[in-house]
Amino acid sequence: MQASRARLFKEYKEVQREKSADPDIQLVCDDSNIFKWTALIKGPSETPFEGGVFQLAFAVPEQYPLQPPQVRFLTKIFHPNVHFKTGEICLDILKNAWSPAWTLQSVCRAIIALMAHPEPDSPLNCDSGNLLRSGDTRGYQSMARMYTRLAAMPKKG
Amino acid sequence: MVSDSITNAPIPSAPNSRDFSKKKRANRSAKLKQCKLDARREQWLSQGAVKSKGCKEEGNCARKERNRSLENPRRRDEDNNNNNNGSIHHESDSESPSNSPTNSLLGGGSGSDSGTNFIGSSSSSSSSISSSSSGGCCSGSISEEEEEDGCLDDWEAVADALAADDDNNKSEPEHENSYSQSPSESQLSMQSDSMPELTDGIGLDSVNSMTESAGMVPRMSGNNTRAWRPDDAYRPQSLPNLAKQRSFPVTNRHFGHGGVPWACNNVLTAPSSCPICYEDLDLTDSSFLPCLCGFRLCLFCHKRILEEDGRCPGCRKPYEHDQVESEASVQGSSLTFRLARSCSMVARS
Repeated sequence: MQASRARLFKEYKEVQREKSADPDIQLVCDDSNIFKWTALIKGPSETPFEGGVFQLAFAVPEQYPLQPPQVRFLTKIFHPNVHFKTGEICLDILKNAWSPAWTLQSVCRAIIALMAHPEPDSPLNCDSGNLLRSGDTRGYQSMARMYTRLAAMPKKG
Repeated sequence: MVSDSITNAPIPSAPNSRDFSKKKRANRSAKLKQCKLDARREQWLSQGAVKSKGCKEEGNCARKERNRSLENPRRRDEDNNNNNNGSIHHESDSESPSNSPTNSLLGGGSGSDSGTNFIGSSSSSSSSISSSSSGGCCSGSISEEEEEDGCLDDWEAVADALAADDDNNKSEPEHENSYSQSPSESQLSMQSDSMPELTDGIGLDSVNSMTESAGMVPRMSGNNTRAWRPDDAYRPQSLPNLAKQRSFPVTNRHFGHGGVPWACNNVLTAPSSCPICYEDLDLTDSSFLPCLCGFRLCLFCHKRILEEDGRCPGCRKPYEHDQVESEASVQGSSLTFRLARSCSMVARS
C-alpha cells in the first residue's frame, strides 16, 4: 500500500519533470486519487489512428508495481486487440508479461506500439481481427480510420 | 512538501519549532531577507569582478546569479567562523540561533554545512529560501540543486577559484580539510542536475545526513577541492552519479513492446536507486545481484517479488534459488559466482 503510493508519487514527479520529453503521451493523475490516472495518447503516424487523440484510463492496484495497472481505452477505437465496447486492451505486458520495472509512462508507449502493430491472432475485436486475418488491410484501415475520425478527433465546426 | 519535512527530520526535537519559525519567517521577514540577500549579492559582484572566471555566465539566469552570490560571501563567512571556533557540531544547524533570519544571514555559525545547504535552497523556490537557510543538513541541497541546469562547469570554476582564494587565507590545514567538503559535495550534487527526481528522496538525504553526523565524511587532502571521483574509495555509495542515474530514464525510452532490453543497460551501469520502488539503493542493495541478467533492485522489493511471482523484473525469468551475489560480477569473462551461498531472502520460491 505505502510502497505503491510512494512509487506512484515518484512516477508522478517524473512525469511532471519530463512533460515535454514525449509529446505523444500526456499522463495525468486524478486530483484526489493517486491510483487513478488518465492518459491522452496520439495515434501513431502512418497508421489509421494518425491524427486521433485517444484517452486511456488507468486503475492502479494497491500491489502496484508488482501487479500491472488496469488500462482501458475510453475513446472508441477499432483495433483487433481492443474491445470495442469496453475498451479493454489485450496486451501481454498488462497481463502475464508484466514486469514491475515498467512504469505508467512505458505502458503508454507499449500501447502506442500496439496500435501500430496489431496482433490479429488474439483478437478482442473479432471484426477487426478477421479483416486483418483475411488479408483485407484496406478494409481494416478504412474502418479504423473512420472510427478514429468519429471518436478520436475534435469535431470540426 | 516532502523534502522539507525530510530535511527537518534528522533532528527529532526541532520540527515543531522549526515549522513555526518557518511560517513566521515567511510572513515577516521575507523582505528583510531579500534586502540582505541583495546586499550580499552586490558585495559578491564586486568581489567577483576579480574572478572573471566565475562571472562569465553571470547574466544567464537570475536564479543562478543569486545562487552564486549567496554562496560566495557565505563561504567567506564560514571560513572566518571556522577559524574562530574550530569545531562545530552539525546538530547546531537547526538548534542554533541560525534559525532566525538575521543570524542565518550572518552565516557561518553553523559551519560549512549550512553554507552548502544555503546554496541549494537559493536555487529553488523562494519559499524554501526561508526554510532551508537554517538548514538541517547539507545533504538537503542535493535534492534542491538538481533544479538548476547547465551551469556545472561554471559552478565548478567558481568553487575552485574560491577554494584557492580561501586556501591563501587559511593557516591551519585542518580547516582546509573541512572546507573542501563543501565544494565537493555541492559539485556532486550538481552532477545530478540532469537526473530524475530520484535523488530528491528520502533515502539519499537521510543516508547522507547519517554519514555526516556520524563524522564519516571522508576528509580530502587540503589541495584537492574537487569532488570524489567515481572510483574514489572514500566516495559515499549513496552519492548520485550522473552515469548511473541516467540509466533509468534512458532505458525507459528504449522500451518497445514485448521484451525489455534491461540487461544491456543495467549490467553496465548499476542504478543508484531501485527501479521498482525508486528508493535509493544502500550499500547492501547495490552489491546485491539477484539475477544473472544483471537487473538490480533493493532487497525489500526482491523479497516482495519472491513472495509474489518470483520472476526477475529485468528478464522475467524466475529467480533461482541459489543467489548470485557478488559485486559487479557480470563483466565480460570475469564472472565470479558464489553459487554455494543461498540467499536468506528466499523465503518460499
